[in-house]
Amino acid sequence: MNLSLLFGALVLGLLTGGVYGVMASGLSLTFGVMRIINVGHAALVITGAFISYEVFRHLHLDPFAGLVITMPLMFVIGVVLEVLFIRPLKTDREELSVLVTWALALALEGVLGYFFGTDLVQTTVSYGNSTFVVGGVHIAYVYIYGFLLAVAAMAALAALLYRTNLGAAIRATMLNRQAAQLIGIDVERVSAISFGIGAALAGVGGTVYGIVNAFNPDSHYDLIGHLLVIVVLGGVGSMRGAFLAALLIICIQDITQVMISPDWADLSFFVVLTIMLVVRPQGFFGVRVREAT
Amino acid sequence: MTGSRPRWAKLGGCVVALAFCVAFPTLFPGSGVLNIALLTLMYVALASSWNILGGFAGYISLGASAFFGIGAYSMGLILEHLIHMSGGYGPFALVPLAGLIAAVVAIPLGWVALRTRHAVFATATIAIMFVFQLLATNLSSITGGSAGLGYPVPTWTGNFYDKPFYFAMLVVALIAVIIAWMVRRSGVGLGLLAIRDDEDKAEAIGVPTWSYKLVAFVLSAFVAGMVGAVYGYYTTYIYPQFVVDPLISIGAALMAFLGGSGTLVGPVLGALILEPAQLELGFHVNGQIYLILYGAVFLFVILLMPRGIVPSVGALIDSRRARRHGAPLAAPPQQPPTAEAVAQ
Amino acid sequence: MLATITCGAASLAIAACGGGSSGSSPGTPSGGGGGGGGGSAASGGSGKGPIVIGASISQTGDFSSDGNFVKQAYQLWADQVNAQGGLLGRKVEMKFVNDASSTQQVVTNYQTLISSDHANLVFGPFSSLLTIPSSEIASRYGYAFVEPAGGSQQVFTRGLHNVFEAEPQAGYKDMTVFGHWLLSLPAGQRPKTAAYVSEQDPFIGPEVEALKSVLQAGGVKTVYDQTYPIENPDYSPLALAISNTKADVAALGVNIPDGTAFTKDFIQQNYNPKAVIYANGPDQGTSWVNKVGQNNLNGMTAPIAWLPQLSTYGNKQMVAGYLKKYGGNAAGMSGDVAEAYSVGQVIQQAVEAAHSVSNAAIIKQLHSMSFKTVQGNFGFNKLGEPTGSLFLGQWVNHKWVRVYPPAAAQAKPIYPKPAWGQG
Repeated sequence: MNLSLLFGALVLGLLTGGVYGVMASGLSLTFGVMRIINVGHAALVITGAFISYEVFRHLHLDPFAGLVITMPLMFVIGVVLEVLFIRPLKTDREELSVLVTWALALALEGVLGYFFGTDLVQTTVSYGNSTFVVGGVHIAYVYIYGFLLAVAAMAALAALLYRTNLGAAIRATMLNRQAAQLIGIDVERVSAISFGIGAALAGVGGTVYGIVNAFNPDSHYDLIGHLLVIVVLGGVGSMRGAFLAALLIICIQDITQVMISPDWADLSFFVVLTIMLVVRPQGFFGVRVREAT
Repeated sequence: MTGSRPRWAKLGGCVVALAFCVAFPTLFPGSGVLNIALLTLMYVALASSWNILGGFAGYISLGASAFFGIGAYSMGLILEHLIHMSGGYGPFALVPLAGLIAAVVAIPLGWVALRTRHAVFATATIAIMFVFQLLATNLSSITGGSAGLGYPVPTWTGNFYDKPFYFAMLVVALIAVIIAWMVRRSGVGLGLLAIRDDEDKAEAIGVPTWSYKLVAFVLSAFVAGMVGAVYGYYTTYIYPQFVVDPLISIGAALMAFLGGSGTLVGPVLGALILEPAQLELGFHVNGQIYLILYGAVFLFVILLMPRGIVPSVGALIDSRRARRHGAPLAAPPQQPPTAEAVAQ
Repeated sequence: MLATITCGAASLAIAACGGGSSGSSPGTPSGGGGGGGGGSAASGGSGKGPIVIGASISQTGDFSSDGNFVKQAYQLWADQVNAQGGLLGRKVEMKFVNDASSTQQVVTNYQTLISSDHANLVFGPFSSLLTIPSSEIASRYGYAFVEPAGGSQQVFTRGLHNVFEAEPQAGYKDMTVFGHWLLSLPAGQRPKTAAYVSEQDPFIGPEVEALKSVLQAGGVKTVYDQTYPIENPDYSPLALAISNTKADVAALGVNIPDGTAFTKDFIQQNYNPKAVIYANGPDQGTSWVNKVGQNNLNGMTAPIAWLPQLSTYGNKQMVAGYLKKYGGNAAGMSGDVAEAYSVGQVIQQAVEAAHSVSNAAIIKQLHSMSFKTVQGNFGFNKLGEPTGSLFLGQWVNHKWVRVYPPAAAQAKPIYPKPAWGQG
């Protein structure tokens, strides 16, 4: 047993887990508000990574600073996609959303490939390789920045949800769409905005993903399964749950990778999920959703 | 009133369709066509079996490829380790066994996954699929891992090669459609439809929801397993990521939705349209445009016909007929009043 | 009632008609259905029309990055052949179709190319994954299947007589040259420990295995040996574990994305192996340099078959033509281009020797001749495995050069590798 290795894996897991947490919380938000399964969320993450890469390359803006462009742009993309493709779904929303967002994911992949090509790219920042040492483990600053960004994004999301009128409307819609409608909340507007926020969060995650990993338009296939599992673990619709689940599961995964074998690391993901489904099917923070008719 | 067509017409239709399918390889001997027909039949079977749980009960499973893969690997492994057969007609005898293995594996998996509903269920099935992909890759001493698994190669050559596989796939597709039909006519079918409408209510009135769902789940897995076995033998070489492939499950679900999930003909029609279109499109349209087109066509169809082709067309015919007979429209399309009016 | 079975019959008929018309449109069903034997394949070169060569390309999906290079090289070869009067006096016409990196589509593609479109010849797709199922199709119709990048053992051990890999050496042995170099060092300098890591890939995994057996036989101790799934989105923990072993040699069975990720992590972890080899990456020109950074290059090694500056057969013409047609600079050219271009060169020589585009005649030539390509000269053994050998490439003074075996070396290899950032 190598303690410094274990410690290193734990730290890495927490730091990268935070970034996954932001991606997953965006997915959880759209599920909670709109009752849709957005399998195109990872494609939005990759879209965000590409936008941030292009902003970095052409405007020579640090990718973290570049978020002032990336996030609003992703928000607008999200709102447009929602209005055009999700809003028209009137019946069987939850079922049809799987198909629509899958089609969106493919179309996004095609559009990205058309504009940016299929070569792998990476946002290579100058400080990408600088590190500091804690407990015998070298930690890269980019992971710290990424994690801090993730925490800031989560805090901003919490402030938005619990301190503003819009947040109240979003929460009311999550609780009960019909009731929210009855008390005069414009649920369609709330839905569009939530989808936009989800996309913006995907943009935040994508920015960090693009700094840490080389990516190309089809990278979204690698991500979506993990993101969905994280959301289910955290309890669908719970952003706090998604964030904590991401921290936990990525830590478990990284420790398995280091201490046992990388081949089986992914399995740890699914083992935790299975245990959860048996013991507590509603997830960490989920409430059992009753049929809404 | 539309359903009251005489029984002999339906039967006649069946016979004509079947005769056409049987005659197909003679009518279109080119192997390029037969290959597309064979893959189309594969999706007819997958979409029809997906429909048993996904369409009747409204439980969206994206895990069909797990059972497809179990079928393909069971057959390949039996041929590799247990029964040595040379390529030819012999291995087809193992197809039902492969389906059975997939069905048996599905029982405990369904037991866990069916504790959940909606999005969580869909995610659980995705997870099941990834677990099997992982097992196929990691248990390399048994499965050959990422290097793949070979089947005995039949000695048929040229254009004849596809024919036996075409007929094998046709039989499996028929079995899938017949199973769906029998379920639909049985008490289980009614129970599943009740679950789709309102599971809690169905439970309250005494429908054994859990066992009905499990039966549907296992039947789907049985068909998917058989399809996987025929497909594996057809390609003669399988890899974890290509037989436990998320695109297979998603394809089956898309086809069922396109045709009309919950109907018997819908999934068949969806597969007949989508799979040839997809293969042809992939063949002729190059590059990224293919993905964009594919996505766009999909969005277009779903947004225009959210319930699928069969129900939408059926509704159209009904309303035409009703108008012709001067009767009021049976059921106007229900759309909940939008909140916009309330809020603004 | 929604579902009536009559409806089903009609729809079956409609869809079947659709399938029928699409299938029969490209060509008349000549050869009368073929039924019988593989002998019906590609009926000789009597015509004066263009020679149609079909190839399935991964334009989308996992292999889309490489697939694009393969397509460019095939087209470039065809253009250059046509500019010089064609093949046997006939124009060459490439027909590309997209397989989306899927085995299902690749099978359909080659089947359609051969049996419906009646392509005279076919070229292989990218990767062993796609090569194995599609070579079966080609074999069934008696087509020669020369392919650029299917080098796993299974490609050659399936008992097919029509598949040939157009590289100097079968891919799965690529990395052994690195082992031979290390063991050629004076005994006192030789590395003592090695860490092996490889993605679960039918092609790269066996390469690392082959290297390991060479080094172990030479007394180099294995201190880490793991594989990982291709879809791994995060390599840092793995890199951490490798760094922790402080092994003298790091052998990485990687492609570009994981290769750059490992490099970054090694730099971050301040892990400086004495020698490091990548299955792919350092040979990939600017796309690699941009990702790992200029001052980390020196000492990185990878097996190579080809360099833009080599004076091998047709290399100048290929490089110049490529840069003119697609832009960029010579240093940025991918090795995929040379591999795919070699497919064209091999076929060209076989066709010219056979004086025919009959596949049976071409296959006969492929088994007996030796071929000159941009990657050097080689022939094929009975299994279709190429019989040449590879070089070890290394970044020396910011140049990508051959360093081993000594006879072919352009520079003295660097050992030990300088610390990261010091190159």
